[in-house]
Amino acid sequence: MNHAVAVFSPNAVLNKTAVRILIASQVIIVILLWVFSPFVLLPKPGEVLGALGDLWEQGLGAELITSFLLNVQAIAVATVLSLLLAYATVMPFFRPIVALLSKLRFLSLVGLTFFFTLMARSGHELKLSLLVFSVSVFFVTGMADVINGVPKEMFDLARTLRMGEWRVVWEVIVLGQIDKVFDVLRQNAAIGWMMLTMVEGIVRSEGGVGTILLDQNHHFRLAAVFAIQLTILLLGLFQDYSIGVAKNMLCPYAALTLERKS
Amino acid sequence: MTIASYSFGETLLKIENVSLEYDGRPVLTGVTAEIKDIIVPGSIIGQVVGILGPSGCGKTSLFRIIAGLNKPTSGRVTVNGSDRPVMAGEVGVVAQTYPLFEHRTVMGNLMLAATKKEKDSKIARDKVMEFLREFGLEDKFNLYPAQLSGGQRQRCAIIQQILCSEHFLLMDEPFSGLDLIMLEKTCELIAKVANMDDLNTIIVVTHDVTAACSVADHLWLMGRPPGEEGNAHEGSRIVKQYNLIDRDLCWQPGIITTSRFTDFVREVKEEFRRL
Repeated sequence: MNHAVAVFSPNAVLNKTAVRILIASQVIIVILLWVFSPFVLLPKPGEVLGALGDLWEQGLGAELITSFLLNVQAIAVATVLSLLLAYATVMPFFRPIVALLSKLRFLSLVGLTFFFTLMARSGHELKLSLLVFSVSVFFVTGMADVINGVPKEMFDLARTLRMGEWRVVWEVIVLGQIDKVFDVLRQNAAIGWMMLTMVEGIVRSEGGVGTILLDQNHHFRLAAVFAIQLTILLLGLFQDYSIGVAKNMLCPYAALTLERKS
Repeated sequence: MTIASYSFGETLLKIENVSLEYDGRPVLTGVTAEIKDIIVPGSIIGQVVGILGPSGCGKTSLFRIIAGLNKPTSGRVTVNGSDRPVMAGEVGVVAQTYPLFEHRTVMGNLMLAATKKEKDSKIARDKVMEFLREFGLEDKFNLYPAQLSGGQRQRCAIIQQILCSEHFLLMDEPFSGLDLIMLEKTCELIAKVANMDDLNTIIVVTHDVTAACSVADHLWLMGRPPGEEGNAHEGSRIVKQYNLIDRDLCWQPGIITTSRFTDFVREVKEEFRRL
């Protein structure tokens, strides 16, 4: 099939070269639209790069490291907590608790800050706890869905192989769903970056990229805002890619049945 | 092989007055049957029982009870003369979709089963390799289930259950969706597994009358007895049993091409339609 036709055909699968050409052309189109955009408020690429250079000289690198480390720490803690809670749903006692925690994702962080402030002993701890909370409520929802979606036949298979119920949990839910954990982690690590700038705006101790972003936004320096957003986007893409690589290395079986391999 | 040359030995599997209800609705009522060891002097012959019945007659429910995966409302299933109800793992189960652990390789899947009986992992591994060679999968041991073809996956699922169970294998709709060649191969595979050991017993749950007749030595026809379709107080039971050995219809290559086999299939189908 002609590639030009294939890109608009449902369920068409392109070869790697065609995919690369498609992505490159779309990136070029976006850049051209940006460069020639008639919107006067939209900063041009040159202005954004200039603002990025200025911000870098003012210490954006150090702020990025602060934010990155905070995010990694929060995601690590949230992952462990959420997995433990999600795995605990194998016991009926924990199912209502996890269901309730999952519903808390509708709450605003701003309204919760006061309670977390009372519990935290430092600004860092406050930011960490807010981030862990906001990521965990989404993470635990995703993982509980993964566990609820395990087909009955997999439990039957484990039982016919004479596994006790805890071994069934280990084989079917923990080991059997480990590739899905990476998928849920990927989504929630991205949520982490989204929440990070909000949390750093609410709690300004230690600074961080969120603090700078809010300051620049407050003073309507759009080129600087774009520069920070672009930096966060690149860091997020790197993080996403790294999780994907880790998944492919540790779970090589996960992509075998997919039509569209990522 | 002639009819006179076989006899029955000990009871291997016994279904005693099994009834099952879901939300007060009867699914099975008083299902009673048994499978006895078939002894043929000088030959290794296992047992193959086909359970036939129309859709929705409770075949899968009985299947799960025999496998020890579900408990009946009353009655019980016992194996190997035991005085306690069957437990999950004593009867191997090969489900219609041939589930395997996708996160483990073929070897990993089979070792899970083999180490349940053999604690020495080297001996267990040797046994797995022996089975893989026997079933033509020796070069697939390092692949993941998703890399196997449908037929290879079926064989792998069968090996896994044989390694773990006590000579019993339950197969759910093994002929479903197969073309003629694959159907013949599956029948050959069932016969091969059954005849690996005198005590091997395979129960095939299916609604494919011809395939069941071609592979089984006994057939159980399940359903509500004629005239009871509208009786909501009665669940299904085994309404008729056929001994294909006495009819000289099993253990003979090419039997399915004979007129007496065709006549028998017609007879079963007519009974089937009345259910």
